[in-house]
Amino acid sequence: MSILEYNGAAMIAMAGKNCVGIAADRRLGMQAQTVSTNFQKVFPMGDKLYVGLAGLASDVQTLHQLLEYRLSLYELNEERKMSPQVFSTLLSNVLYSKRFGPYFIEPIVAGLDKDNKPVLSGSDLIGASVSTDDFVVSGTCTGNLFGMCETLYKPDMDPDQLFETLAQALLASVDRDALSGWGGVVHIITPTGVMTKELKGRQD
Amino acid sequence: YEHRFSPYDFNGGTTIAISGPDFAIVAADTRLSSGYEILSRDVSKLHEVTSKCVLGSAGCKTDVDQLRSVLDIKGKVYQHNHRKPMSTPSVAQMLSNTLYQRRMFPYYAFNVMGGVDEEGKGAVYSYDAVGSFERTPYSATGSGQAYMIPLLDNVIGHKNRLDEKKELGVEELVEIVKDGFVTAGERDIYTGDSVEIKVITKDGIQTQRFNLKAD
Repeated sequence: MSILEYNGAAMIAMAGKNCVGIAADRRLGMQAQTVSTNFQKVFPMGDKLYVGLAGLASDVQTLHQLLEYRLSLYELNEERKMSPQVFSTLLSNVLYSKRFGPYFIEPIVAGLDKDNKPVLSGSDLIGASVSTDDFVVSGTCTGNLFGMCETLYKPDMDPDQLFETLAQALLASVDRDALSGWGGVVHIITPTGVMTKELKGRQD
Repeated sequence: YEHRFSPYDFNGGTTIAISGPDFAIVAADTRLSSGYEILSRDVSKLHEVTSKCVLGSAGCKTDVDQLRSVLDIKGKVYQHNHRKPMSTPSVAQMLSNTLYQRRMFPYYAFNVMGGVDEEGKGAVYSYDAVGSFERTPYSATGSGQAYMIPLLDNVIGHKNRLDEKKELGVEELVEIVKDGFVTAGERDIYTGDSVEIKVITKDGIQTQRFNLKAD
């Protein structure tokens, strides 16, 4: 039994033309037993910055609070908004600071920078991060998610196409994973605002 | 502490099979690996058991080779006794029985079988290493299985889709198989080099090849 697989999760962040999307499932389980079907795993950290936290649910909630605290402190001290790249580095540093007793989280970050260009990054539980221009995935079914994203992704999608791609990739992947699913949520971030939609999939 | 001798080695690779109304497609990559090394870029994972039935196997090459030999011999004995080749559902059952005979020291082979049944309809059977099997519309097995199966669920099974389902023809399905292997080749280190695709109809078996990245 792996601690990162105790609660179950599936999430994707993907880039489009001047937009980014981030999607996650809604299940919270304790191994085989499902405990909640509307557990939040994706959090807004700014009007154009979202973070997805996959892994141990306790750490999901604790890290969310910690990141909000660090972000607020930054914005008060610096008197400016935190950019997605800086947030991603902050997250990496927070995770590495617990190198020998880590948070059991493998996060993904999606946002638009000051020029409204997509910023995507993912990291492991001790802060090793990667930055990509297409997509990042995390959770208990990353094989499934990688396969779907690699096949369905094309560059420069508009917000509606991006939504469809994220929805299909997530739903098909979680349906072959016992630990994730029970619905989904997709956020599409554009220069003018964020569009959020709930997904209805197999409820098992 | 000392590493115990393991009788198994994992030689990698991915196999896939899809059935249609009057055909079946079986495909597999041609890479043979061991650990991080590539032993060969051109070794077939597909085996024609009868003129109407193809077995695709990934796993431990030596067990796969032995399994094929055993199936060939049993097939020949059947043909000798019954004066006709084995039908696809019979081959499917025979493979299951052969695998279960080695229940306590299994063949390390992950199998998919594709062919046409007695009525001429496409048939695909998926197996585990000890012989549990089921007839399914499509299947994938091997190291790249996780990358391919959700794609097949979405495109062939039409799952989680609201648009109208259309019947896919052979050429369209072959293109989907190629897309699947390109994806698996990108993300799975054991899958790559090239793909061998066999299309089985009541008239016989056609083979085609498709190149993948060699990295």
